[in-house]
Amino acid sequence: MSQAVAPVRHVLIEGNKSYHNITEDLSSPTEKAPSREWIIAFSLAAAFLGLYVFAVCWTIWKGIGSWNLNRTINWGWDITNFVWWIGIGHAGTLISAILLIFRQRWRTGVNRAAEAMTIFAVICAGQFPLIHMGRLWLGFFIFPFPNTRGPLWPNFNSPLLWDVFAISTYFSVSLLFWYTGLVPDLATVRDRASGFRRKMYEIFSFGWTGSAKHWQRWESLSLILAGISTPLVLSVHTIVSFDFATSVIPGWHTTIFPPYFVAGAIFSGFAMVQTLMVITRKVLKLEEYITLNHIDSMNKVIVLTGTIVGVAYLTELFIAWYSGYIYEQFAFYNRVFGIYWWAYFGMMFCNVVSPQLFWSRKIRRSIWWTFFLSIIVNIGMWFERFVIIATTLARDYLPSSWSYYSPTWVEISLFSGTIGLFFFLFLIFTRVAPVVAIAEVKHILKVAGSQFIGKNASSHGGHSSVQIKKEEN
Amino acid sequence: MHHDNGIWVSTEDLNKEESFLQAAEKEFSVENMAETDGNWTASRRDFLKLMGFGLGAATLAASCEIPVKKAIPYVTKPDDIVPGVANYFASSFVNGGDYCAVLVKTREGRPIKIEGNTLSSVTSGGTSARAQAQVLSLYDTRRIKTAGTIEEGAVKAMGWADLDNKIKGQLQLGGNVRLITNTIVSPTAKKALAEFMEKYPNSKVVTYDPVSSAALLAANQQCFGVRGIPTYKFGEADVIVSFDADFLGTWISPVEYARDYAAKRKIKSMKGASMSRHYQVEGKMTLTGSNADNRIQIKPSELGAAICTLYNEVAAKLGGSSISAPALNDKAKAALKKVAAELVANQGKSLVISGSNNIMEQVIVNKINDLLGNINQTIDFGTINNLRQGDERDMARLIGEMNAGQVQVAIVWGANPAFELPNAKQFKDAFAKVNTRISFSGTMDETTALCTHAAPANHQLESWGDAEPKTGHYSLIQPTIAPLFDTRQAEHSLLEWADSANLNRQDEQPYYQYLKSHWASELFGSQSKYSTPAAFWDMSLHDGVFEAPAAATTVSFNPGISLNAAAVTQPGSSEVEIAFYETVNIGNGQYAHNPWLQEMPDPLHRTVWGNYLSIPVEWDGVNEINGWKGLNDGDNVEVEVNGQKLTCTVVRTFGQLPGTVAIALGGGRETGGCGVGFGVNVNPWLPVDGGLTQYFAKEAKISDKVGVDKKFACVQYHHTMGVTAMGKEEGAIINADEKTLGNKGFQGALTDRSIIFQVNLNELPELSEKMAEFHQKAKHLNEQTLYPDNTDFYGTGLKWGMYIDLNSCIGCGACQVACVSENNVPVVGKTEVHRHHEMTWLRIDRYFYGDLENPKVVYQPMMCQHCDNAPCENVCPVNATNHSMEGINQMAYNRCIGTRYCANNCPYKVRRFNWLDYTTADTWPANEEQVFWAEGDEKPYYADNLVRMVLNPDVTVRSRGVIEKCSFCIQRIQEGKLTAKQENRAVLDNDVRTACQTACPTGAIVFGNLNNPESEVSKARKEMGPLAYQVLEEINTRPGVEYSAKVHNANEEMFS
Repeated sequence: MSQAVAPVRHVLIEGNKSYHNITEDLSSPTEKAPSREWIIAFSLAAAFLGLYVFAVCWTIWKGIGSWNLNRTINWGWDITNFVWWIGIGHAGTLISAILLIFRQRWRTGVNRAAEAMTIFAVICAGQFPLIHMGRLWLGFFIFPFPNTRGPLWPNFNSPLLWDVFAISTYFSVSLLFWYTGLVPDLATVRDRASGFRRKMYEIFSFGWTGSAKHWQRWESLSLILAGISTPLVLSVHTIVSFDFATSVIPGWHTTIFPPYFVAGAIFSGFAMVQTLMVITRKVLKLEEYITLNHIDSMNKVIVLTGTIVGVAYLTELFIAWYSGYIYEQFAFYNRVFGIYWWAYFGMMFCNVVSPQLFWSRKIRRSIWWTFFLSIIVNIGMWFERFVIIATTLARDYLPSSWSYYSPTWVEISLFSGTIGLFFFLFLIFTRVAPVVAIAEVKHILKVAGSQFIGKNASSHGGHSSVQIKKEEN
Repeated sequence: MHHDNGIWVSTEDLNKEESFLQAAEKEFSVENMAETDGNWTASRRDFLKLMGFGLGAATLAASCEIPVKKAIPYVTKPDDIVPGVANYFASSFVNGGDYCAVLVKTREGRPIKIEGNTLSSVTSGGTSARAQAQVLSLYDTRRIKTAGTIEEGAVKAMGWADLDNKIKGQLQLGGNVRLITNTIVSPTAKKALAEFMEKYPNSKVVTYDPVSSAALLAANQQCFGVRGIPTYKFGEADVIVSFDADFLGTWISPVEYARDYAAKRKIKSMKGASMSRHYQVEGKMTLTGSNADNRIQIKPSELGAAICTLYNEVAAKLGGSSISAPALNDKAKAALKKVAAELVANQGKSLVISGSNNIMEQVIVNKINDLLGNINQTIDFGTINNLRQGDERDMARLIGEMNAGQVQVAIVWGANPAFELPNAKQFKDAFAKVNTRISFSGTMDETTALCTHAAPANHQLESWGDAEPKTGHYSLIQPTIAPLFDTRQAEHSLLEWADSANLNRQDEQPYYQYLKSHWASELFGSQSKYSTPAAFWDMSLHDGVFEAPAAATTVSFNPGISLNAAAVTQPGSSEVEIAFYETVNIGNGQYAHNPWLQEMPDPLHRTVWGNYLSIPVEWDGVNEINGWKGLNDGDNVEVEVNGQKLTCTVVRTFGQLPGTVAIALGGGRETGGCGVGFGVNVNPWLPVDGGLTQYFAKEAKISDKVGVDKKFACVQYHHTMGVTAMGKEEGAIINADEKTLGNKGFQGALTDRSIIFQVNLNELPELSEKMAEFHQKAKHLNEQTLYPDNTDFYGTGLKWGMYIDLNSCIGCGACQVACVSENNVPVVGKTEVHRHHEMTWLRIDRYFYGDLENPKVVYQPMMCQHCDNAPCENVCPVNATNHSMEGINQMAYNRCIGTRYCANNCPYKVRRFNWLDYTTADTWPANEEQVFWAEGDEKPYYADNLVRMVLNPDVTVRSRGVIEKCSFCIQRIQEGKLTAKQENRAVLDNDVRTACQTACPTGAIVFGNLNNPESEVSKARKEMGPLAYQVLEEINTRPGVEYSAKVHNANEEMFS
């Protein structure tokens, strides 16, 4: 790919890398023995995954009664976690697809990890609709397929059914997109590997040879998938929001939910990407690929979406007041000042107030602030879903049925267990595939004019220019 | 194998051919296998065959353990049983002084449901929760199963013949015999008793009631010469003043009173609507008080003073002599003055009653009625109510006798003095001195555990018997199932021991013959309708009731009576007084072992499984409503009365007068069933005054919080619907509870909801207008839809609907228990209710409104509203809940996967999820730990096959993980439709009546076909005009249930 050279552009990859350096740096984590940190982190994640498996078995064995939900609040931590994870799973596709379309070239440094995160987050999210069912073993009733029960079809009016379609589509497309991107990189790893590893990578890289035809098809497929994914970024959380918006319960029944949920999802997704990237770049020594500029850009997205979410919160309050409808008014009054007021204020602080710190460039470019605030944002987004679900149900139409809810150890274990599951998968991923997209990063190695002019130009030597030539051929 | 048993399988076998014998020796033939070099080898095909067989056999043998289910066919089908078709037998529910004429529904020979008997003019088809739950006690696993001796609280089996001999031996020693009973209303049982006493002249019957009305009986004896309770005509009284008598819930004959009371209070049409006015004078909030138009609050010890004050006021107007009334609080005094004026204005059309157990207080009440001319008008001594006959002073005498060693044989029949008496401890000590102690009790209650011999009586549903609840009103009891255990009717035992010549021991059912001949000899003659005793008997048995024409009798007040104000209770001066009361479900513990009744929420406190200390609430004027002393629901406190301490759990109660607390009787049973361990036994706290048990104590010491009840079980957290009080910040009367919602409160947050509409009678037209406006507004809102549907789906054929008259609903809970019984609703136990996992399909929401210190109450039966635009239906991903063409919201349990979205989306919160395996229907028992286990049982309550006999075979037992809810008794609808179809006619009101509807004593629930303009439900809704409303009408759910506004007839001057 030929690049226009303009001296005003900044480097996207620091450290004066050569193409070889990139291959070395990014493939090596899959080749070396795991570090001590990795082993500790992995054991921890595996332990939490074990807890998760135990809690799931417990739930299925004992029944949903092992949770503290009750006749009034029939969803609690389960669906809160579901929506939370789905939200987190939004950044990957957004970075891959929408930023691709907007030609945000910096995205290549983080898109691989973000997509992986998406897939793992959706896997975590997908757990909850399954295990929250009273009769998990009959969960297949929800799939529309010709059957011997009539045939009896699912209810196409139900947002829960739309969920099934939305999430499975999103998962499939994200997986395809991610894997498509992985193929050339797996081939790179294959080329460097030997023995059994080589054999495995050979299988997984689908016989990639790097021929021009391969690249051409690869590019087309990526583009098509990006095209398909783009509306999905908006549709998934829109449909998740329908789980609430189509109901009749004041506090759920609002038209603002789709954009509000999507913004929230991108918000939390970026926060989670930040959390992971900050750790990954440190542990895998990728500071030169995932640079402060990346962190800066993503923080900008966070402050934008956080503000959108904030506006949505205020709009809700305004509309509730403006509606003149007692149930709506009380539902929102209760959200702010009711029994779960602490959750509302937690949400407001974490989601609306805390991201405003990112107006400061200094904070935006501070690793520690970014890490800290990304955690805060994720806590806030969890609160948001809890506020929407539990607070609303706790005080609905009939005061006689008002109730309160706090989780049991099983529900807490399930939540912390999915975090274990998430990191379990992510840590394995860092060991088997390049965390940064090698092929794509190489595209953006030379975007800054400074790399071609002056003293920096010489550092690349003939080696790199040969490679450029090769690619241009 | 060849056997020499004459059976052969082939001619080779017959001829005993060598080859056959050899072949037969080898069980598995290998002829087809190839033999190579003396080794058997298997071909590929053989290998496959053998492996297939082996795998198949192993799979069959190892993996499919199919539980053995026994279905025993009728070898000879009984004539009157058609499998799948219910039989109804007219019978009666009698337990001491509780009476209800009932129909017992049986299926394949098992009683499964109690219905009211509409032929009875006493109960008119109404039932009580207690009657409804009776069927469950039949299948109590803890019933005593054989006769025998009692050793260490357990029965050591002994044949009836041996037991009879032994007891007869004791009786024939000629010592004093005492029979301890609660009220007996059966004339035939009394005849049997008479025979027994004739045989053993030293015997005597001692009767007391678990909750006493002895003073009333004694006062009537003094005033009118009749030791009996007159018939109170609540339906003819325009003004009712009740001094602490809970006549709608527990006092004497509540089912009868409730019907009459409600009839007088139905708003039949908007124009010229009238209803009686009901004043209740009490300190605690009773079920009756909660229905009153005006409550006049007094401390329990001020009851005498209040009665005297009213007397003086009435006497002053009507020329009676005044008495020196003890001091009464000013507010009550002023109120009673107004009451007196109203009573005087309604002479002969008013009614004053009292639940007091002080003779002089009852005498004064009688005098008030006499002055008002109510005697022989609203108070009819011509028909005596027999439901209370006991006198605890007789028990005190008996204790003396037993202590003196004068009693040799004691027979306990239907009573449980070791628990029910205030002086149970003295009773127990004295009782131990009796040589032979025999119990007829069906369970090992506290008294039976102290006995030497158990002669367990049949359960009433296994018994023959009769009852005369009121003079001339007879009612039969017939068995609906053969005795489940080796038990025998108490009457039979008595006659047996009396060597009665009238008991034909050769007969299959000797007491049946005895009963029949009693009716032939005593009652046949009192009628002229039937010419033969056989026809008379058959028809009486068919109807269940027989009412002999009664002669009108009048009485007059004994002029010799002098009213002595000194003999009434003198007001106490302590800081806190405590009142004791009976609840509609548990009584004084008689019903504590019935899980249906334990899990039926107390109508007022909404608590289950135990008795809780009601404490007053306090409003801080700003934004908090606190319990007295800062106590919270579920806090434990130590209460000391008469020097005895108990730890009680607190429940905050609106309407509880400050300076008083109250607690229900009947908690803390020690033996005999699954109610053991719930609540506290407060009977030892009851003071005795002049030999009569008093249901209050003038002093109670209540500690601060000493802990919490971690399983505090209450089904309603939020209790109010806009109680008003003075707001400090506003300087005006505000809705106090709305001020407590959230930080600064939200005025209108409760009262602006379209859940309850209420009004005082004088403002009825205004409310009517307001509601018409509301309907308009709701209609307008509901028309703003993206999906205009002009299709009238339900305009033809059947469209089921319900109408609930909140003005008739008194909150008694009979419907709730009926629903549990009809629909196999599981009992979940205290822990699960604590977690808000109760499963009841029908609940009765109770809201307090009006003055915070003395609020009014509205009860709202709430069940699935069967919305025609149901929010639950469109969100179910698998169509498990859907709408029938007849407007019924249906649940297909088998289809439900348990996402619970429907329950979230139900605005009425009536959907119930099976959180755990409550019915123990799962195939593996590992998850049954948390479901209801009665103490000491080896398996969950519902896992026992005996208990499961109570299940209605027409209703699916739901499994874990599915949603369930009210089905409008779909099984009854189906049955009714089939009946109509068979008779080739349209479905009529009487074909389908829901369980809640038939149970209701006041007719508050009406059900039927809305498409039939002549149906009761259509007419009722139409008559109410705008006063009929749908709950949350404006959210376009289009419910199939309508309610009517609650109308009070309060004397508003009283509080101005």
